[in-house]
This record gives sequence, structure tokens and C-alpha cells, in this order.
Amino acid sequence: MASFLQQFFNGLVGGAFLALLALGLSVIFGMLGVVNFAHGAFYMLGAFGAYVLLTDAGVSFWVALIVVPVALGLFGMLLERLLIHRLTALDPLYNFLLTFGLTLVLQDLVRRQYGITSQPYPQPAGLDKPVDLGLFEYPGYQVFVLVVAAAVCAGVWLLITRTRVGMVVRAATERPELTRAMGINVGLWVTPVFGFGVALAGLAGVLAAPMRAINPLMGADLIITVFAVVVIGGLGSIVGSVLAGFGIGVASALCNLYLPGLSQTLVFVLMAAVLLWRPAGLLGREEVPA
Amino acid sequence: MRKAAAITTAAALLLAACGQGGPSGGGGKISGDKIVLAVLNDQSGVYSDLSGKNSVEAVKMAVEDFKAQYGDKAVTKNIEVVTADHQNKPEIANSKAQELFDRQGADTILDVPTSSAALAVATVASQKKKLYLNIGAATTDLTGKACNKYTFHYAYDTYMLAKSTGTTVTSQGGKNWYIVYPDYAFGQDMQKNFTTAIEGAGGKVVAKDPTPFPNDNFSTFLLKAPNMNPKPDVLGTMQAGGDLVNLVKQYNEFGLKGKGIKLSVGLMFITDIHALGPDAFAGTTFTDAWYWNLDERSRAWADKFQQRTKIRPSFAHAGNYSAAMQYLQAVQRAGSDDADEVVKKLENYSFDDVFARNAKIRAEDHRVVHDVYLAEVKPKSEVTTDWDYEKILRTVPADEAFRPVADSAAAGCKMG
Amino acid sequence: MKRWVLLGIGLAVVLALPWFVYPPVASDIVAFALLAIALDLLIGFTGLLSFGHAAFWGTAAYATGLVAIHAGVPFPVAVLAGAVAAAALAVPIGYLSVKRSGIYFAMVTLAFAQMVYFIANQWRGVTGGENGLQGVPRELFGVDLSDPFYFYYAALPLVLVGLFAAWRIVRSPFGRVLVAIRDNPQRARALGYPVQRYKLLAFVLSATLAGLAGGLHAVGHGFASLQDVHWTTSGKAVLMVVLGGIGTLWGPGLGAALVVQLEDYLATAGFVGIDMVVGAVFVVVVLLFRRGVWGTVALWSARLGARRRASRAASAAGAGPSPSPQQRDADRESVDATRKGD
Repeated sequence: MASFLQQFFNGLVGGAFLALLALGLSVIFGMLGVVNFAHGAFYMLGAFGAYVLLTDAGVSFWVALIVVPVALGLFGMLLERLLIHRLTALDPLYNFLLTFGLTLVLQDLVRRQYGITSQPYPQPAGLDKPVDLGLFEYPGYQVFVLVVAAAVCAGVWLLITRTRVGMVVRAATERPELTRAMGINVGLWVTPVFGFGVALAGLAGVLAAPMRAINPLMGADLIITVFAVVVIGGLGSIVGSVLAGFGIGVASALCNLYLPGLSQTLVFVLMAAVLLWRPAGLLGREEVPA
Repeated sequence: MRKAAAITTAAALLLAACGQGGPSGGGGKISGDKIVLAVLNDQSGVYSDLSGKNSVEAVKMAVEDFKAQYGDKAVTKNIEVVTADHQNKPEIANSKAQELFDRQGADTILDVPTSSAALAVATVASQKKKLYLNIGAATTDLTGKACNKYTFHYAYDTYMLAKSTGTTVTSQGGKNWYIVYPDYAFGQDMQKNFTTAIEGAGGKVVAKDPTPFPNDNFSTFLLKAPNMNPKPDVLGTMQAGGDLVNLVKQYNEFGLKGKGIKLSVGLMFITDIHALGPDAFAGTTFTDAWYWNLDERSRAWADKFQQRTKIRPSFAHAGNYSAAMQYLQAVQRAGSDDADEVVKKLENYSFDDVFARNAKIRAEDHRVVHDVYLAEVKPKSEVTTDWDYEKILRTVPADEAFRPVADSAAAGCKMG
Repeated sequence: MKRWVLLGIGLAVVLALPWFVYPPVASDIVAFALLAIALDLLIGFTGLLSFGHAAFWGTAAYATGLVAIHAGVPFPVAVLAGAVAAAALAVPIGYLSVKRSGIYFAMVTLAFAQMVYFIANQWRGVTGGENGLQGVPRELFGVDLSDPFYFYYAALPLVLVGLFAAWRIVRSPFGRVLVAIRDNPQRARALGYPVQRYKLLAFVLSATLAGLAGGLHAVGHGFASLQDVHWTTSGKAVLMVVLGGIGTLWGPGLGAALVVQLEDYLATAGFVGIDMVVGAVFVVVVLLFRRGVWGTVALWSARLGARRRASRAASAAGAGPSPSPQQRDADRESVDATRKGD
């Protein structure tokens, strides 16, 4: 029993990253209608940001946890203003392709600078000991990741549903014309929301740095799983994406335990099942059939 | 204006390829007066650090040393080194290999990591009847069902890695193993070979789990390990590259070393250790086909290499140097670069150079066998000079490490 | 008239290609051209961005390889078998994927293609896994096709069949319904067309042609590998379509030629930054050249033609009446020669 719980907890930790990334992707999609292929690249930049700050400026993990997402958020806002904004009036496919191209460029730039081999990053002091969770012990840092991810997801949900800012953003997403008619400058919110989504990806990256390999390709294969996660959860739904993220994490971990050969295809099989049963995703809004 | 520029660029690109067409006129043309060595490898992807452009440097070093050794008595002084990046794509490797042989007059192709690319080039070499010395790939198929007269497998393979590590670690006390391997051909081969070697040495594989590939979360497997019955003495991991780094980080996080489970890695390069730092890998055992700090001879060469490239050489770099040098030596002995003549001079040749000690080039399957080394990573406190990460626990002699000839034949090698 | 001239030139280029371009690269160009054109059927004419076409290209590559190795049939038969395999795979994937549209469709096809990749990786006994399916022969009634130059011409008829099929699909009533669906799915449905079925059919046809291309590619290289089912191959196909011109049908063929040449050039140029170049091309084309090379040329020549007509009309009647409404409409139509764009 303890072993099963251990694996379940394990899955939650793995799912935390998926949830954070799916959350950022959903937020960006909800507001801009843009599917940000570069989300994985921003995650990678988050991890590299933490690494660079540590090796070049001696900045600790704790500071990086704040600084890097903010910096990436600003970088994201810049990209949105300069590049993505030009295409939002068009079919969202164009922005998908644009962000795909950006991914290749960002990954290669990082590779040219740092090489393809992974970079070292130590665990933050104080968290590098195992924590006794009653039924079993677990690495302290991973518990920390889970706590932070859950807190951030909950915080974003509260932000969107309980605050005026969140209300405005939601209104602007679902009824842009009506919102504009109420006198709210919808356009003003697009760039900050994009930046916010990118910052979430960057945060996931910083959290990943002490426990995952830091190399230019770390986001590349992850992003496709994240796409499947948001399709399962429902692309416009924040809650759906987060739940699907944690859920897939747990499912993968348990699958690794009982049916190791299947774990890679699992998320895609689930995606196919969701498509058959509920094409809009588990918690997504029903799309007008086209 | 911009549109015109776009069209012109397109036209220019198409024209740039002009003049390369036409039928190739069959098998190899022999370049009487010039020897061309071609290095075909990954220069921008996952193998670029452990081999890549620096292997081209190593080959150039071999050419210079060869010329210096023979001076005017060299079979020719006109030796050229060309290179292409196959980007780990077998179709590019295939096209580039043909182009290197046809258009650039390459007499031999070296390196070629990535099994699918390596096997594709073996077919090309056989068709064009030109030499191919593979350093970078691990698949035993090169001396198995894909073996042919012009292909030589130079540095390492999955069998050698498994036999050396599995046998030595087991006989040194690591009786119970838990093997974790990435679920693709390389990982599966390594797992099978390790299991055979471990059981052959009297050990036991408690469990073997395939992991997704690529994968960044090994917690499931690492959590299982201490609870197994019997508890494993060694965790054998066949992950490589970024996956290996992920696993090692998490292995340390879960404190498995403290729980008495040592780590043994199927395939590792010194660049991996350098990437994470020795402390992350301290105590880990693995087989290295060569180590720069082995003895005076290797150190001297490594110093020269470092002067040119700023890094210490991995076994791949040294392997490329050695293969290039041995090829040139064979040409010297044959007096010509005719592929069949050179093959005859390479087969059954025994030698001992900076990379390959007590080496022999087997005629039956074109496997180059040489001594290999079971190494243990030192903790940072014991590292006295830069890059000196390895402590050699045992030298595994050539005959013991590599797959016996009979097994190659059983695996389908028909040397024609 | 101009259309036939252009097609004639295109045919001449395809026939003469191996004389100008290194033959293995020429074979790659036509194979990828067929893939890109097949993809454009879906992207440009049906409005569905498939980001997972490597699943069909690659599956056909493996199927062709297996048939060629084990059945010893002439390679065109093996290639057709590959195309059939791709079509068979496209039915279930297409059925599930067309339930979504737009960006969802892209993500879903990407995810399904990943599934195919992982299955190909796992099913090592059949596909050879990482090592690839090696030793695919080029059998054609005993003719020696080992020289890639002659293989190109042996394979060309199949390529031309594929291109012809694409052309016929686009020019047929079926093709026009696809365009209607692309432009306004609700109206198409209101007019009584079973939109989902049309989309599925377009998907399968596109996949079949992609499979034809993949099979030829496998025979040309003598092997099929995981690279053929990898998502970067899907991305490469999309790049070729976008670069060449979405919805222009032949533009993607030109895009294929450019991308294959670029990759080939960069492999020997010693420039270590292929992904960066590809990514930058993507970004630039999507931002500035949405019509792609072909579309841009078409627009340019249409504008030139309109300007010439306007100046001719103006000079003929002094500062007389501007072009007739019909003439203006005709000009606008030729300007709208490529639809996807602003």
C-alpha cells in the first residue's frame, strides 16, 4: 500500500510540471487564441535562466524563482508585441507556425551558446534531505515542487475567478465585443496575459532545474505531451488543464509501475478516448461543430 | 522588392546545386595520387560534444602525425580531410556518404554515430566498395547481420560495454542487479547483454524495467529499487545523454547510494561527467573504451588534443584519431589506396597505439578488439587535475571484452 | 494558357532534375515535393493544418520496406502497398481528428503522429526500432537500379501519378466542395454537404499520396527509419507548404526543393545551426511572406498584369474611364489567386 501511495505521490510530482505548463498554455489560448508551440522553449529558458544566474552571478535558487519568471514574462510580452501581435487577426494556425519557428530558433541559440550536454544545477540547501510523509519518505525538493505547483495553480484559479482583474480577463476572452462596449480596453490585456503565461512556463523551468537535466531540448518532447494534456482537459478550461496535468502525471507513474511498455503512448491513447467521448475535452467548452 | 529578393534567393539556391548531376558511373573510382578521409558525424545534435567537430580535429592530427612519421617515404603527401554533418538523420547520412564517395573522392568514411545512420552507411560502403571505419555507433549489427568486406567496427559496441561492466562489477561483489533501460533498440540490446554477462559471472538480475525514451522522470523506478527482494546491490542504467543526467540527479535525490544501491552505467562519456560534475557521479562504475589519463602515452596525446580543442578527449575523439592513423598505416603497407588492398592489410593486423591497446582487427567480422577499462568516477575531493574524473579499477583484456567470433557468425555475419 | 505553360515548364524541370542536382538529392526533392503537395490538399484546400503527416509518410515507408524485403515484388508494387497502408492508418486517425478543427486539429494530429512514432520504436521486431529497417531492395524485373540516376527515372512515373492525382482532386467538384468547406463550413453544411465525411475523405486522400511519397523515399534510400515518423519530419513538410505557398498546390513542390537543397547544403557547409535557419525561415515566411514563394510570384505577376491593363486603358482613352467592373473583378480574382493570407 505504501508503495502504491509512493508512486501516486510520485505521479503528482511529475504531473505538477505538466499542470503548470498546461495552465500557461490554456491561459494564453483563452486570451489570445494562440497555441504557443514555444511554451516548451520558455520552460527550457526558465531552467537555463536559473543555471546562468547561478554560475555567472551567483544568484541563489530562491531569488531565481522570482527573477527568472518575471524576466521571461517581460521577454514574452516583447515577443508578443513584436511578432505574435501581427498575426492575431489571422487564422491562429499562423501563430502556431510562428511559435514553432521561434522554438527552433530559441533552442538552437541556446545550443550554440551552451552545447547539447546537460548543465549542472545543485539542489537548494535545506531541501536536499528526504521528508518523512508518514507512510513513506520522499525527497524534500520534490515535495517542495508539488507544494509550489499546487499553490500556483490554486492562486491562478483564484485570480481568474475571484478578482476583478480575472473577471476582466475572462470577460475579454469570452465576449470581447461586449467587454469593449462596457468601456474596457480589451487590447491592453492581451500582452500582459501572454507574458503571464510565459512566466508560468519559466517558473516550471526554474523548478525543474535542480531535478531535471538542463539542456536545450528539455522542452521539446515535453510540449507534445502538454498538447495532449490540454486537449484532454479542454483547451479553454483552466481547471481542466490543471486537473488533466496532474491526472496524466499519476496515470503515467502508475503505468510505469504496472505496464512499463505502454507509458509513452498512454497519454495519446487517453487523448483518443476523450476525443471519442467528449470532443471538447473533459471540462472544455463545447466547440461549434464545423 | 522583397518578393524579387525571395525569388532570386530561391533561384540562387537551386543553381548552387547545379553541376552535380548526371549518372555516377558505377562503383568506386580510384584516386591514385590523393587520399581523402571523410568524417561523417553529428555536429549539431546530441553527439556533437562527445565527438562532432573535435573528431575532425583528431583525424587531422592523425594525418599530420602520419606525414611526420614517414616524411618523404609516405605513400602520398596529398592527404585531405573532408567532413559532413548527418544531423543524426539516416537519410542525410545515406546521401552524404554517397556524395562523399562519389563527388569528393573519399577513400574512407569515419565515425558515423547513430545506429540507423551507421547501418545505412555500411550498405553504401559495400555498394561503392570503399572503406568505412565506424567509431561512433554501438550496434553489434555492424559485425552481425550488416557486416561486409569494407566495414570495420572500431571503438566499442553494446556487447563489450555490457560484458566488461557486468562481469567485473558482479565479480567484485555486486551480486544482485536491478536493470533500468530505455525502451529502444540500444537499451534493449544493452539489457540483454548485461543480463547474460551478470548471470555468467554468477550474479542475479532481480528485475529489469523498460523506461520510456526519452524520459525525464525516473522516480517510479528509483522508488521501487530499495523495496525489492532481494535488495539490489547495483542499479544498472542503460540511459544515455540527457536521460542519464535525469536519472543520476534523481538517483542522488532519492539517496539510493546511502541505501546501499550502487550505480553502474552502461554507456557514459567523460563529457557527461564533466557536465554534471564528478560529485553527482561519484562512485559510479562504467566501462570506458579509453581514458586520457591512462598512462604517459595517452596523456601526451590528450595534451596535444587539448591545445587544439580546449577540452580533454573522449574515447570517440581518440578512436577517430586511431582509426585514421591505422587506415593510413594500412595504405602505407599496401602501397596504394585501392580498397581491396587496404582491407587485406587491415585484416588480422595486430597493433598497439595510443587508443587501442593490445588490439587486433579480426578478419571474420571486422571487429577491432582492444583492451577496455572498468572505471569508477572519483568524488570531487579526489580530482587533482582538470577532467581527471576516472579511477581505473580494472583493465579488461581484448579477448574477454568483445563478442566471440562464433557469436558474430551466429548473429548473421557472412563476410563475403 | 499561362497555366499550361507553367505546368509544361514544371514537367520539364522534373524530367531534367538529375542532370542538375545530385541524383539522390533529386529523388529526395520529388518525394518530399509529393508529400508537401499532398499536405497542401489538406492545409490549403480543406483548411486543416495537419502537423502529423509524418505518420503516413513513415508508415508507408515501413510498409513498403517490409513488402519489398519479404515479397520480392517490383518496387512500384511495394510502394503502392505502402500507400495503401498509409490510407488504412488514415481512416481511424482521420475519423478522430476531424472531430476537431483549426488549431485543435493540428495538435491532435501531432499527438497521433507521436503515438505512431512510439509504436514504431517499440515494435522493434518489425521496424528495426532505432536501427531502422535496413536493406530495402529496388527490384524492377531485374533491371539494375543501383545507380541513383536511373532509379530517379524508374521512380518518376509513380511521382507523376501522385502529382496528377492531386491536380485532379483539386480541379474536381469534390475539390471545390473542399474549398467551400474551408471558407465557410456552416454554409457548406447548410447547403447539405456532409462536411465531416468530406473532410475525412480529403484526409485519407492526402495521407495516401503522402504514403506514396514515403514509400518511394524508403526504396530510394534503401531503408526506413524512425526519422520518417518523427514530428520534425511533419514540421519539415509544413515548412515546405508554407514556404512554397499554402493553397497553390505546386508552390509546396518548390518549397520542398528549397528545403531539401538547404538541408543538403548546410550539411556540408560546416555551418552549425540548421535548426536556427529553418526556424528563422519559418518566422520570416509566416510574418512577411504568407503567400509563400509561389503565391508571392503569382500576386506580383497579377498586380503587374492589372497595372498594365489599367495603364493601357488609361493611355487608350486619355484620362478616360477606369477598367470596367468586370475587369476590376477579374483583377481582384487573380489577385486572390492564393486564398490563405490576409
